[in-house]
Amino acid sequence: MRTTVDKLSAGQQARVVALEGGRGMQARLESMGVRPGKTVEKVSSQLMAGPITILMDGRQVAMGRGIARRIEVETDLKKA
Amino acid sequence: MPESNDTSQRVLLVGNPNVGKSAVFSRLTGAHVIASNYPGTTVEFSEGRMKLDDSWARVIDVPGTYTLEPVSRAEEVALEMLDHGDVIVNVVDATNLERNLNLTVQLLRMDKPVVVALNMWDEALEHGVDIDVEELERRLGVPVVPTCAISGEGIQKLRLRLSDARPGNWDFEDDSKWCRIGEVVEGVQRVTHRHPTIKDRLSHLTVHPVLGLIFGALVLFASFEAVRFIGEGLIGYVMEPLFNNLWLPVVQRMSEALGAGGFIHDILIGQLVEGQIDFEMSFGLLTTALYIPLAAVLPYVVAFYLALSVLEDIGYLPRLGVLVDNVMHRVGLHGLSIVPMMLGLGCNVPGTMATRIVETRKERFIACTLLAISVPCMAQIAMVAGLLGEHGALGFLPVFATLFLLWVVLGVILNKFTKGDTPEFLADIPPYRMPYWPTLLKKLWMRIRTFLKEAIPYVLLGVLLVNIMFSLGVIDALEVVFKPVVTNLLGLPPGAVGALIVGFLRKDVAVGMLAPLGLNLRQLIVASVVLTAYFPCAATFVMMFRELGFRDMLKASAIMIVVAFTTGGLLNVVLRAFGM
Repeated sequence: MRTTVDKLSAGQQARVVALEGGRGMQARLESMGVRPGKTVEKVSSQLMAGPITILMDGRQVAMGRGIARRIEVETDLKKA
Repeated sequence: MPESNDTSQRVLLVGNPNVGKSAVFSRLTGAHVIASNYPGTTVEFSEGRMKLDDSWARVIDVPGTYTLEPVSRAEEVALEMLDHGDVIVNVVDATNLERNLNLTVQLLRMDKPVVVALNMWDEALEHGVDIDVEELERRLGVPVVPTCAISGEGIQKLRLRLSDARPGNWDFEDDSKWCRIGEVVEGVQRVTHRHPTIKDRLSHLTVHPVLGLIFGALVLFASFEAVRFIGEGLIGYVMEPLFNNLWLPVVQRMSEALGAGGFIHDILIGQLVEGQIDFEMSFGLLTTALYIPLAAVLPYVVAFYLALSVLEDIGYLPRLGVLVDNVMHRVGLHGLSIVPMMLGLGCNVPGTMATRIVETRKERFIACTLLAISVPCMAQIAMVAGLLGEHGALGFLPVFATLFLLWVVLGVILNKFTKGDTPEFLADIPPYRMPYWPTLLKKLWMRIRTFLKEAIPYVLLGVLLVNIMFSLGVIDALEVVFKPVVTNLLGLPPGAVGALIVGFLRKDVAVGMLAPLGLNLRQLIVASVVLTAYFPCAATFVMMFRELGFRDMLKASAIMIVVAFTTGGLLNVVLRAFGM
């Protein structure tokens, strides 16, 4: 199923499909290691629309909701 | 970076944030650290020396950066520094190879000699990560040395292989960058799965929406108690005995020799209180001016920076940033702005400097202004604690609650009326690590030394100025001029004017001047709040000016004065209404 990172549930894994947003945002995400083809695992969402924490190659990365909303993912890891 | 005619080799330590560059730096330079601008913040560098071949080389710890395409100020600074480097030691986190190689391959594309230090080797093993070092060296084309800076393993080999450093001779299109990185990682790394460790579980816990907040509150509370305990301990068991048993007899003899009065006596020893020297109230250069920074403030500065350094080095601060980000955004700040605020509690100067990590002009303006108005420095807190101590919580709570409220309200207002957006949170959250004590203690020592170097001259100057102004009758004249504001609006005795004037220079001396005024609780609260909020001390003012520029500084100053006196006036009325 296609969705975005902010909608994942805690512990759920998904593969990054696309990054929406400008070149700047994509560059920032890339420097954190987040790019199409990588598998991420959702760790938590803070209360009151606070940042979302994901696990990326075993390393935690935290991002604001707006950024998370622009990372498109595929929850079915078996799908191409 | 300081330019010089120095012909010694420049060794640059370059790498992502949180890869242990400081530990590697510490190991390479040993005791030979020359400079460190307010250590502990991201956008500063450290410089030291090490023996390379047969001469001394300069070693520079470049601010952590993820890429050479500048995405933030830290990275712009790093890029500039790279231009001036002779040898590059690329410190790579072995537990995060793929992401770290992003920077590595960009360095290999430059025409500079590179050696890779594959650091945190021990942690990699713990994580089940095994890297074929020889193969990595072959593929990258530059020397690769596995290191564990914490234990020192591999450092000697790193030193030896520095002479083998060579340019990478990598050439690639930006499009194929990740492809090529992937190939390298694929060829050298084997990961075996292992069960979550306690540290992993703690990592998850501390960003849990509810448990994380509870844990955070506990951490802050524990830190506060630790600072109080250590500070009070140092005062009671070290500083006060030192001053009362060793120094007091010395100045007493001086006092007698000078005839217990007269101009020189008043400057050096100050006024005698009931025929005795009182370290807090005599206001002489050798009495109060030494007592305040060394006995009243330094113990809390040491305690505070110890606590802060531990929190920094175990890696808790980014998680704190995550926890507070949603609140911070309401005042137009980024979650990680909690770091300058916390630094500001120690001293507003490094706190202001740390706002360099903030990206936009709007954020920097809000952060610096809120810092100057609502975050009292340890020097001030220590003195206020001394004055309010006997009233206990009834004294502290109104002061800090008011300052906090001010922070929130003013922050929301500034956010609304300043143009621009605040970028969203995006940060690497490093795993928890045991602090590396040599770096931590070195960092602590640097911070203490910086405090002393700055505080003591300013305090001496402040006390001297106060004495001169008093003897010239300047203060009396000013008391008359400012009576309407001070007495009618703030409800303070005219004597408080002296404190307000000195507060421009140094906050602790200013609070010290309140002591002989015999203020009641309400007046102490109002005075403490106004002294914190109305204007930063001279050192902070200079730093703010450097960070904000002239126009923004003017705006901030106006806001500070208006807000401080309005709040003071309101507080005066409110507290009176409560019968104080």
